[in-house]
Amino acid sequence: MTEYAAMIPLVIVALSATAAMLAEAFRQPGERMPIAGLGLIGLAGAAVASGFLWNSDAHSMGVIRSDNFALFINFVLCIIGVLTMLMSGDVVEREQIPAGEYYALTLFAICGMMMMAAATDLLVVFLALEILSLAVYVLTGIRRRSASGAEAAFKYFLLGAFSSAFFLYGIAFAFALSGSTRIEQIGEALSRQGAGEPSTLALLTVGLLAVGFAFKVSAVPFHMWTPDAYEGAPTIVTAFMSTAVKAAAFAAFVRVFLSPLEPLKNEWIPMLGVLAGLTMILGTVVGVVQTNVKRMLAYSSIAHAGYLLLGIVSANTTGKAAILFYLLAYAVTNMGALGIVALLGTSQNQHDELRDFSGLWKSRPGLAGLMTIFLLSLGGLPPTAGFIGKWYIFSAAIQEGHYWLAIIGVLTSVISVFFYLRIVVMMYMTEGSDAVRPRLGATAVAGLALAVVAVLYLGVLPTRALDLALDSISTIF
Amino acid sequence: MLSVIVFLPLVGAILVLLAGGSGDRRDREPAVRTLALAVSLATFLVTLLLWWRFDPTSADYQFVERHAWIPAFGIQYLVGVDGISLLLVVLTGFLTPLALLSSWDSVHKNVKMFSFFILALESSMLGVFVSIDLFLFYVFWDFVLIPMYFLIGIWGYERRVYAAVKFILYTMAGSVLMLVAIIGLAYAYASTSPTGTPSFNLLDLYAVRLSWPMEMWFFLAFAVAFLIKVPLFPFHTWLPDAHVEAPTAGSIILAGVMLKMGTYGLFRFAFPLFPSAAMYFAPWIGVLAVIGIIYGALVAMVQPDMKKLVAYSSVSHLGFVVLGLCAMNVQGAQGAVYQMLNHGVSTGGLFMIVGMLSDRRHTRLISEFGGLKAVMPRLVAAFLLITLASIALPGMNGFVGEFLILVGTFLWSSKLAAFAASGVILSAVYMLWMFQRVNYGEITNEKNRTLPDLTMREWVMMVPTIAMCIVMGVVPGVFLRPMEPSVKRTIERVTGRSYAATSQPQHVVALGAKPAPVPAAPLPPAARDSRIASPEPTAASRRPRSASSE
Repeated sequence: MTEYAAMIPLVIVALSATAAMLAEAFRQPGERMPIAGLGLIGLAGAAVASGFLWNSDAHSMGVIRSDNFALFINFVLCIIGVLTMLMSGDVVEREQIPAGEYYALTLFAICGMMMMAAATDLLVVFLALEILSLAVYVLTGIRRRSASGAEAAFKYFLLGAFSSAFFLYGIAFAFALSGSTRIEQIGEALSRQGAGEPSTLALLTVGLLAVGFAFKVSAVPFHMWTPDAYEGAPTIVTAFMSTAVKAAAFAAFVRVFLSPLEPLKNEWIPMLGVLAGLTMILGTVVGVVQTNVKRMLAYSSIAHAGYLLLGIVSANTTGKAAILFYLLAYAVTNMGALGIVALLGTSQNQHDELRDFSGLWKSRPGLAGLMTIFLLSLGGLPPTAGFIGKWYIFSAAIQEGHYWLAIIGVLTSVISVFFYLRIVVMMYMTEGSDAVRPRLGATAVAGLALAVVAVLYLGVLPTRALDLALDSISTIF
Repeated sequence: MLSVIVFLPLVGAILVLLAGGSGDRRDREPAVRTLALAVSLATFLVTLLLWWRFDPTSADYQFVERHAWIPAFGIQYLVGVDGISLLLVVLTGFLTPLALLSSWDSVHKNVKMFSFFILALESSMLGVFVSIDLFLFYVFWDFVLIPMYFLIGIWGYERRVYAAVKFILYTMAGSVLMLVAIIGLAYAYASTSPTGTPSFNLLDLYAVRLSWPMEMWFFLAFAVAFLIKVPLFPFHTWLPDAHVEAPTAGSIILAGVMLKMGTYGLFRFAFPLFPSAAMYFAPWIGVLAVIGIIYGALVAMVQPDMKKLVAYSSVSHLGFVVLGLCAMNVQGAQGAVYQMLNHGVSTGGLFMIVGMLSDRRHTRLISEFGGLKAVMPRLVAAFLLITLASIALPGMNGFVGEFLILVGTFLWSSKLAAFAASGVILSAVYMLWMFQRVNYGEITNEKNRTLPDLTMREWVMMVPTIAMCIVMGVVPGVFLRPMEPSVKRTIERVTGRSYAATSQPQHVVALGAKPAPVPAAPLPPAARDSRIASPEPTAASRRPRSASSE
């Protein structure tokens, strides 16, 4: 039994996904069924199981390792999942999305992500990547009648397949290098090579794996799919993708780059440093000119990937912990922000243009207030989670003397505040649009309340979460 | 007690939100206003109590509260006041109720949120002044922007959105570089500390010694953040926009308290943390300050809009404050801190008056007025007193501050002092000219004939403001005494000179506040330029780099 202990959280999620599929299959036409509830139970179970596994450092079959690092990501994913489930109810009904498939795919994606965070074998990382990617491709195009959805799903699929190929190629070189796909053994093989010039094989491994990850975390110049996919997907799926996929991809990124590939640090730090700088700059500068809120938040999510990359570039304890905290902070913040955009849509109109937000303060003061808090958090203003996250990331970079990257980071944050404030200006300082504002269901309100409490809690009393994050990285050397 | 002061307004702000009901409800308006005013008055009373209990002989932080916040990074919730921040805290407490009163009749759009933002702003400004931990300071410093942004953007005049966005981006761009410097400084501390954890405690960081390029860059990052906030020429361009478009309450707080955050930051953080860089750059900043004094005055002179005139006069007056700080001697610094308070009271008063006039006429153009004295004698009398305070008439508060600053500057550089003194004259020119055009002469505009004089509420606002102007002008010792030990210690920290042997500076004697014992022993040479009667003007006008270089 202990052999499988490390897999319990993801098995629970997979079971709940299967249950959701079965529930859908046995549903009478027209019958309402709380399928999201199944998902909530599964996610809560996974979170509880992760809690029990804390500090146990359980291994399964040598390829899954539930160390605290993976468990922290599990918690983040459970939070994202719970928020998605809570806020999806209204959207699924409105867009006539097939509920069972939607929830099942979301849960399978989360299962894949948990596997990705815990995988200690590059092939399992790849397997997890495919599990989550396939689910997310389908989710992107789940509105079958939507042309933009189909386009987004197709683009995402093509570029995703490319990135998978790069990644797989990188794994092949790693295997050629070390005779194994296990992370520890690759690490050992690399450190045996010593401090001299790294071999071409090693450089190819690093380069190809980096490209694969860069695609998944949408770092410039591999970000092209992001705005289209995010804009075409149903908004709630965008929220899910931008937070959960990022969390899983960064988890694997950290695990691969900061342990087995650590000996090659001097080779990849400059490369990823340039990537981080470009990603921050392009994400914010292009974000400034967007008039569609989803697209704007897509570019903002590219910029946030840049900040997260800064944590990897720093390659120190603070950086690793900062990535974990930032992923958590970004998850609750962006789920909240995109969740509101999703909830404001109606079946005729998505209401995701900037001008659709005008006068929201008058018609829905509560929503406008929540949106403001989320946007301030995205912009990194105190007292929100986003501020602490950025502070932490920049601390890591400065600690290693990456002053220029930190300066690029803070200046792009200021620019990004400009476009986040455009939404605030619309909501508070412009006369109202005649957009119909739908009523929110109780679960959606609960989801938003949860997100905002988390944003403020992490912003004012971050100590606990920071300590947990610091506690989680001891197994990543 | 400090936590009570800082968070009382915030708690009040949340109560206001609850009391206001959902949406914009007109019927709850009086309740909301009264509650907000009561909270701000209560805060003011606590700040007075703080002053009462403050020990004016100590240069140390008092009422210190310390709680671990993020121990892994050495971040603490660490607050305390010394003589420099004490009076700024009181000033904040004093101006916030006035700001709320000033909006009583002019703001009717969602009063609940308006009061919420004003109280939240008060909380964060108080937090800025009492933070000793740099992280905590930065949190408050950045948070201040949010309520102010909304105050300008929602309740401002025509171009409010532009002004609000410009305000927040301009000031944020400066502050984020300071953020980088703060983190860098904390890690510089970590590399020398035995435990290896960084610290954000200001008192720890004072001890950090940096390499020269580091110190220079960090100083510049801090200085730019603060100088933008002050705002010093040429970083001032956000100020006229923000002031002109802000509602009266916003202008009062912006000019009265927020600009002081910049000068306070310079004196509390930028100078003592990086003393050699501060000494190196002080002449440059001093020159910019003098340019600002004269430029602000000249531009103010030609403004057709009263509010813009007052805004540019702030640029000029804050130039004096920065100049006094750059002089790096006790007179200059004390004058500068004193002038911060003066400017808060008198410019706050001016904005109240302009607000009253614009509430009555819905215009602020000087040319629209004229001959108001015949219609509103009481308001004009109040206007006159505030104007005189603002142009530093002897006997009013502005005189004491500007006098001390000029004395301090003269000891440092007589040329700068001479140019700065011309600013005093120019301020008399633009203020009195504006006053004359608005209030004297014939009534040129028929609409002005029927304007009502001061109402009860306006009396309540003007009386304490004018009283403060006079009290601060007549008995400055009351205000100078508590700040003196802290100012001295800060100057010592920056210059490396010791004031232990010097007695009370003579000017305080001249103003009759406190008798100073005559020093028994001859002064050490290093302390020479702290005395007014310096025997060698050339030596005094050249500023020593350190105690040993003289």
